[in-house]
Amino acid sequence: MMKIIKVNEDVCVLCHLCEIACIVEHSESKDILKVFKREKPRPIARCAVEEDKPLSFSLMCRHCDDAPCVKACSNGSMHRDERGYVVVDEETCIGCWMCIMVCPYGVIRRDERRQKWNLSTKCNMCPDRDIPACVEVCPNEALVLGDVVECT
Amino acid sequence: MHIVILGNSTVAVAAVEAIRSIDNMENKITVVSNEPFFTYSHPLLPNYLVGEVEEDEEKFSYRRKGFYEQNKLNTILGDAAVFIDKNAKTVELKSGKEIAYDRLIVATGGIPIVPPMEGVNLENVFTFTNLTEVKKFKTALPNIKKCVVVGGGLIGTRLTEKLSIYGVETYLIELLERLVVLALDDYGAGLIRKELEKAGGHIITGDSVKSILGEKKVCGVKLASGKEISCDAVAIAIGVRPNMDIAKNAGLEVGRGGVITDEYMRTSDPNIFSGGDIVETYDLTSNQRRSIPILPIAYAQGEVAGLNILNREVKFKGGFPMNSMKIGGIEFISMGTVNPEKDAEIIERKYDNGDYKKFIIKNNCLSGAIFIGDIEKAGMFNWMIKERFNVKRIKDYFLKEDFGWKYFDRDTRNLRISRQLK
Ligand SMILES: Cc1cc2nc3c(=O)[nH]c(=O)nc-3n(C[C@H](O)[C@H](O)[C@H](O)COP(=O)(O)OP(=O)(O)OC[C@H]3O[C@@H](n4cnc5c(N)ncnc54)[C@H](O)[C@@H]3O)c2cc1C
Repeated sequence: MMKIIKVNEDVCVLCHLCEIACIVEHSESKDILKVFKREKPRPIARCAVEEDKPLSFSLMCRHCDDAPCVKACSNGSMHRDERGYVVVDEETCIGCWMCIMVCPYGVIRRDERRQKWNLSTKCNMCPDRDIPACVEVCPNEALVLGDVVECT
Repeated sequence: MHIVILGNSTVAVAAVEAIRSIDNMENKITVVSNEPFFTYSHPLLPNYLVGEVEEDEEKFSYRRKGFYEQNKLNTILGDAAVFIDKNAKTVELKSGKEIAYDRLIVATGGIPIVPPMEGVNLENVFTFTNLTEVKKFKTALPNIKKCVVVGGGLIGTRLTEKLSIYGVETYLIELLERLVVLALDDYGAGLIRKELEKAGGHIITGDSVKSILGEKKVCGVKLASGKEISCDAVAIAIGVRPNMDIAKNAGLEVGRGGVITDEYMRTSDPNIFSGGDIVETYDLTSNQRRSIPILPIAYAQGEVAGLNILNREVKFKGGFPMNSMKIGGIEFISMGTVNPEKDAEIIERKYDNGDYKKFIIKNNCLSGAIFIGDIEKAGMFNWMIKERFNVKRIKDYFLKEDFGWKYFDRDTRNLRISRQLK
């Protein structure tokens, strides 16, 4: 069964390490110092921490079964990869934001730094890793990899 | 079973993907289109016109290369369907060919509305809904210095922007007093107008084109106000209507907004399904059946049609208009009914940085929203409209810059985030 990143707001310590790990993982060098000192443009974090003290939690793409972003994409860039996760084909994405318009979680970001075409940016479940970077770095299991218990 | 699909665009692709997701390639699928092209992205046509994207680029296609082969599709491209015999279960093509089907999906989309006026048949009068037409426009473009765009809706404004930036002196003529009437309010439309003018466009509202002037080729237009504008091309972009003659002639039930289907996207004939720009859709925000010609709805309906052909009993319960657009420096997303009747509650705010948000609430349900600038959370509101979420306790937070799941009650938030609440 496909696993997603589960979010536990009760144990989030508001450290933002998930966002940092995400940026590093999706960078050219994958080296924290190089990324934050030299890489331009620096990747956009694909998870975002929401806070309203004492509440805090990190949220990223839920990889919906019935993903509205895939269906609304104007040219097939938003698609499901071999693992079953919803990912963007960066080569073809034109940044029309149709995916943002329908994402029921509000977790797709705009990257407007490319020369010609904008780019939708979202969690891709770290295709180069077994455990996503944000989950691995989370110090308190506020993000864990787990099975989806589907709604009825 | 032989499934025949008339059309090669959003609905067709969605139906194919739905069918192939469950049928182990057991059914034979034939896709028929009057246009001879690989499935392409209609929203990219304005970019294609001015050379920002070429026909052979992957991003112009609606699906990646190999889509037809991977899905084992039989394709007949460049031959129009001309008649459906629903009793014999056959489709006749323009070439004279006849195809027998077990199930048919009629997905012939929309056709441009062309007002009956003098001069519409002159050379250099273009419509803007398919690649065949836009190719003609593109071929003529290097020799066009001045163009009149008729209609200030979503396509007309985009076209005006692209043409102006390209260097064509462009006049946009809109009958109503403001632009993008269906998707924006006065404030939003005003911003769009400014952006178009910044790009060099000339915007004329509250007037209409009465006739197109010229002998063989366009040389100008005459407006209802009496004013004349000289130009060497006219682009008609006042909207689309359902391309449903073929359905009507087959004896399928049709309404004003298009072909009538049930929630399974089945037409009045049990073997014929439909969806997309050709059908009448139930609008969840205005509670009316009407034409809502947008891509996300076309996809959703095509998918439902495909699944129900394989007896999955999936319903399409309704949709609502939604659009995402960028004109000049303005990005906006609008959804639902944004110009409400008097009894609706309106929450709106203009932010210091120029952003704007507006929410329309009726009976504790969100029925429309406009986002200008800060659009990234727009989809959450789309979900609230679709699910008729009771916004009584959350609406006070709608205008917050950091709106998010944190403002929902704990249970709703956690059920949603863990995907246990639709
Ligand atoms: C310029 C432009 C910009 C747009 N931008 C947006 C946007 O930003 N967002 C959005 O949501 N929507 C947008 N749309 C609308 C969107 O493209 C349509 O809603 C969607 O493509 C509808 O899909 P469809 O399959 O119903 O029909 P269509 O896409 O219209 O396709 C109809 C198909 O039927 C074929 N056909 C027609 N007649 C016959 C026949 N007799 N026999 C065989 N085949 C036939 C056509 O060749 C075509 O393949 C835009 C449309 C245009 C034209």
